[in-house]
Amino acid sequence: MTLAVRDGVRILGHAPSTPFAGLEDSQVVQAFLEGHERAFDELVSRYQTRLLNFIYRTVGDRERAEDLVQEVFIRIYRHLHRFDQTKKFSTWAYTIASNLAKNELRNRSRNPLVLFQTIKRHWEADHRPLQFEDSSSRPDDMFRKRHLRELVEQSVSQLPEHHRVVFVLRELEGKTYEEIAEITGCNLGTVKSRLNRARNNFAAIIAPHLD
Amino acid sequence: MNCCEFREKYSDFTDGLLTSGEHSEARGHLASCAACRRFDAALHAGLDALRALPSLGVSHSFGARLRHRLRGEFAVRVPVVARWSSAVGTLLLVATVGYIRWDLRESREMRRAQTARSAAAWNATPDPAPLPVYRASQAPVIRARFEPFHPMNSILVVEQSPPLAMGGPPRLDLPAVWGGP
Repeated sequence: MTLAVRDGVRILGHAPSTPFAGLEDSQVVQAFLEGHERAFDELVSRYQTRLLNFIYRTVGDRERAEDLVQEVFIRIYRHLHRFDQTKKFSTWAYTIASNLAKNELRNRSRNPLVLFQTIKRHWEADHRPLQFEDSSSRPDDMFRKRHLRELVEQSVSQLPEHHRVVFVLRELEGKTYEEIAEITGCNLGTVKSRLNRARNNFAAIIAPHLD
Repeated sequence: MNCCEFREKYSDFTDGLLTSGEHSEARGHLASCAACRRFDAALHAGLDALRALPSLGVSHSFGARLRHRLRGEFAVRVPVVARWSSAVGTLLLVATVGYIRWDLRESREMRRAQTARSAAAWNATPDPAPLPVYRASQAPVIRARFEPFHPMNSILVVEQSPPLAMGGPPRLDLPAVWGGP
C-alpha cells in the first residue's frame, strides 16, 4: 500500500528516483523479502558510501575497502531473510562491515605480502604530484590544511584496531554508545573505555602538531 | 579534579554524560589547567579536520561488479538446490529399491511359511477313502432303440446304464440306421 502511494508521488514528479527512496530501511528490507529485487539496489545506494568510508578509515586501503563493501552487500543479500527485523538494519550492516574489517586487519598482520603491498601503495600515493585543492587559497594555508588532513588520517591509522573501530563509529559515523556496543559485540563500559582511550591517543598525537 | 581524573572522565564530559556536579567540576579544571585545555583544543581541531576530509565515493564499476557477483551468488544457489534435489532423489531411489527387495524377501518368506503350514496340514489329515476303480465292463452304456408308438410312427428310446456320473467315458450303442453295430 505504501509503495503504491510512493509510486503515485513519483509519477506526480515530487521526487524519489526509485519507488523505495522515501521508505524506512525496515520497509525497504521488507519489500526485498517480498520479492522486490530492486529494493536491494536502494539499500546498496543508501549504504555503499557510508560503509566504504567506515571500512576505509578502519583498514586504510581504498581498493581493499571497496572489495570489502562488496563482500558486505553479498553477505547482506545472502542472509537478509535471517535478519531480525526488530533491530536496526544499519547496525546489522555496520556489524558485518566491522567484522570484515577486523578480519582484514588480522589477515594483513599475518600475511607479509599483503603488508608489503599496502606499504607500496602508500609509498606510491606519497610520491604523486601535488594536487591543488583550491586555487583561491594561499599556498601556505593549503599546505597547512593538507598537512593537518594527512596528520589526522595518520593519527586514526595509528590507533589500536579495537580503539579505531569505536572511534570511527562514534566520531565519523555518529553512532550511539548502544549501537557501537551492538556492532562491536562489547558491553557499554568497554565501549566507553575504548572511546576514551582512543580520544586521548588521538589528541596526544595531534597536539604537538597544532602549535 | 586533577588532570588524570579529567582525562579519565573526558569522554563522558565531551558527550555530556556527567552529572551536573561532575560537569561543573570538569569545566572548572579545564578553565584552570592549560595542559588539559590544550588537549581539549587538539582533540576538537583534529576531529574537525577529520570530519572535513572528503568523503570517498565508490568507483564507477562498483555497481556492475556487485551485480555480477550477485548474479553469481544467485547462480550458485540453484545448483545447491539441484544438488539437494538430486541427493533427495537418490535417497528416494535407494529407499524404493530397498523396500522392494525387503518386500520380495518378506513375501518369499511368507510363501515358504504358508507352504510349510499347508504341507503340515496335509500331512496331518488322514488319507481319504480310496477312489472307486471302474472296470471296462462297468463303463456306462447308452443304448438307443426305436419303439413302435403309432401305426405310422415310432419313438427313439435312449437308456443309460450305469448312471453317467459314476463311470468313465460312455460307450454308445446306437441303432444300425445311425451307424450302430
